[in-house]
Amino acid sequence: MRRLGLFLVILLAGLLVVGTSGPAQAVKPIKIGVAGPMSFTQGEGHWNGATLAAMEINEKGGVMVGGTKRPIELIKVDTNEFISIPDATNAMELAISRHNVDFLVGGFRSEAVLVMQDIAMDNKKIFIGCGAAHPKLCTRVTKDYDRYKYWFRLTPINSTFLGKVVFIQLGTVAAMMKKGLGVKDLSVAIIAEKAAWNEPIVAAAKKFLPKMGMKVAGVWRPSPVAKDVTAELGAIERSKANIIFTSFSASVGIPFAKQYGELKIAAPVVGINVEAQKDGFWKATGGKGNYAMTLNTYAKVKITDLTIPFYEKYLKTFGEAPNYTAGTYDAVYLLAKAAEKAGTINSDAVVKVLEKIKDVSTAGVVVFDKSHDVTWGPGYVTSLGTQWQDGKNMCVWPYKWKGVTYEGTVPIKFAPWVIKRYKK
Amino acid sequence: MYWLMANLRQAGIIVRNEVFVLPSRIAVLVFVVALLALPIFTQDPYVLRIIILTSVFALLAASWDFLSGFTGQMNFGHALFFGVAAYTAAKLNLDLSIPPWGSIPLGAVGGVLAGLVVGIPCLRLRGAYLALTTLAFPIILMGVVFALPDFTGGELGISGLSRLSGSRVGDYYITGGCMLVFCFLMWKITDSKTGIILHAIREDEVACRSAGINTTRYKLMAFCISGFFAGISGGLYAHIMRLAGPSTLEVNTSFLVIIWSVFGGMVSIYGPVAGVFILFPMLEFLRFIPQARMLVFAFLVLLTLLYMPEGLIPWIRDKIEKVCPRCKARNLGTRSNCRVCNAVLD
Repeated sequence: MRRLGLFLVILLAGLLVVGTSGPAQAVKPIKIGVAGPMSFTQGEGHWNGATLAAMEINEKGGVMVGGTKRPIELIKVDTNEFISIPDATNAMELAISRHNVDFLVGGFRSEAVLVMQDIAMDNKKIFIGCGAAHPKLCTRVTKDYDRYKYWFRLTPINSTFLGKVVFIQLGTVAAMMKKGLGVKDLSVAIIAEKAAWNEPIVAAAKKFLPKMGMKVAGVWRPSPVAKDVTAELGAIERSKANIIFTSFSASVGIPFAKQYGELKIAAPVVGINVEAQKDGFWKATGGKGNYAMTLNTYAKVKITDLTIPFYEKYLKTFGEAPNYTAGTYDAVYLLAKAAEKAGTINSDAVVKVLEKIKDVSTAGVVVFDKSHDVTWGPGYVTSLGTQWQDGKNMCVWPYKWKGVTYEGTVPIKFAPWVIKRYKK
Repeated sequence: MYWLMANLRQAGIIVRNEVFVLPSRIAVLVFVVALLALPIFTQDPYVLRIIILTSVFALLAASWDFLSGFTGQMNFGHALFFGVAAYTAAKLNLDLSIPPWGSIPLGAVGGVLAGLVVGIPCLRLRGAYLALTTLAFPIILMGVVFALPDFTGGELGISGLSRLSGSRVGDYYITGGCMLVFCFLMWKITDSKTGIILHAIREDEVACRSAGINTTRYKLMAFCISGFFAGISGGLYAHIMRLAGPSTLEVNTSFLVIIWSVFGGMVSIYGPVAGVFILFPMLEFLRFIPQARMLVFAFLVLLTLLYMPEGLIPWIRDKIEKVCPRCKARNLGTRSNCRVCNAVLD
């Protein structure tokens, strides 16, 4: 009797195990590794964007691959790439060899992404870059297609185009000053934080401004973590510059914008200010950051039908506006659509679909060029220019640029003290 | 056959009389055997990658100990040797198509030259002044890297280097073998007459000079030797990552080397090696608590320094072994008489 009881217990336990493991075996999830520096805002963007996409896809039942709906499972790959490149490579290896990810999205620091890219290519895993802008990441595809064909860059547009967009925005402001305020000879003050990534930008600005018919009033290089830039602003004012061209990615963007407003420097600001892309900018500058303009990827404008719903849902879910690394949202959708179309998650088959894809994403229409880089231009992904106008981060570019104006875009505004300087 | 048997018996006698008499030596033997045998048990690419990088950094840390621990030349910019060698190996490999077995030693020669460049202006400096001056060199070189992007690859570095070998196991044995051989070489140097002089320079340079020792020559030699071994690790790193980038010159790299060495125990060569073999894989193990990873790391290092100021390995060694007050030979902690001179141990 005792033996019979034991047998029954074992039988029941066995049935329970079979019962619980049955469905898990039947529907194998598609594993996507989200690689990024997770302790930093860029990595948070990577993770949040991918999470939102996976949530939406799984709510609809998953990805239809080979007649089966498979859910998406995200694997957090903390690359810690700002601090340690070996950490990034170890994290990639862990994701591929232990977690058996099917695809990878993310990456931020170009130097780290190069090594991460090699690991993904060694294992023939599709890796969609959502953070590093260096063109070399894609030129590798054209140079050695068979090895690097698994790499695609979705966001941001490559740094050559980013530079182009910034200068187009600068040209737009210059044209407005000439036309609207009657300024004839324009001079531009370049203020860029002292950081390595800024060297080519400063060099390009010095080279292209004269070609654009503008003089360089001077170059100022404050520390990326400077708390006070009044000396630089004072010098810019004395240089009688008509436009201030900024290039900030670090915290110096806040004191700059705040003190610019306090000192009422009579020159509009255009360029890059990563702090001005964030929601907390208005509060951080105490409202003095009005009229600060920056290059951006997301704003509450209708780039496509997907942009505003994504922007609002992201804001509601995570309490902040998406930054450009949240482009992992589009990357996960892109992979899901490509896998559905290919009918498999086999990397070679999915690559073939991705190469021909024309997909409407939250940042524009995605088409990959021969180097697997996202196409930039009207009708594709353009990038944005945003300006703080009375507490709201408004999209101001593209505005009637090559026939492109996204619904919700407003014209660039000049500060009253700028207008006062020229309209006496 | 007879010759082989005789040699094996001789080796067995040496191992029994020289290795099995001290727990620290047994530990080293176990470590070497385990390191060499690991791929027999697992060829998990993740595990092998971690040990490969650990071996590279262990060699780097030991080379720092040679210069800063033994000779007392406090170097806060050790990444310079590492980075110079990585870039040199990368340029030679890509531009002149020199394979890794040539580019790595030549990269190490670059490390030697970097040692000279740092060593000469730093000859008159000591302590904090020397530390701060050496800290400046990799920062200056990083500025040069960004100033000459066409030559150095700028922020992206130089990529696409040849693989170290065709396989992960091959890479494992090359890096592990290099680490063991070069660390043993360093240890032998520190155990030699030269090592005693380097030791003496650290303790009292003026006394050394008054004894007729050309301390300038020895200090420069220490910079060059350290630069060479750090250079080997830099070259290995470049070929494993297939990239030589600005991160090799970062202050973070220099500081990590110091943390590993101080944690493991300075002035020992094996201490820094143990430090890297504990801390580097531990950081990987702590991936399950990503937010607290660095915190746990820092806490462990702090605790070690607080309770074991000489470092972890010397602390353990002092607990299990005794030094003979008469002949200075090391003995097992449980012994009451010295195994060499039979003197009574405390």
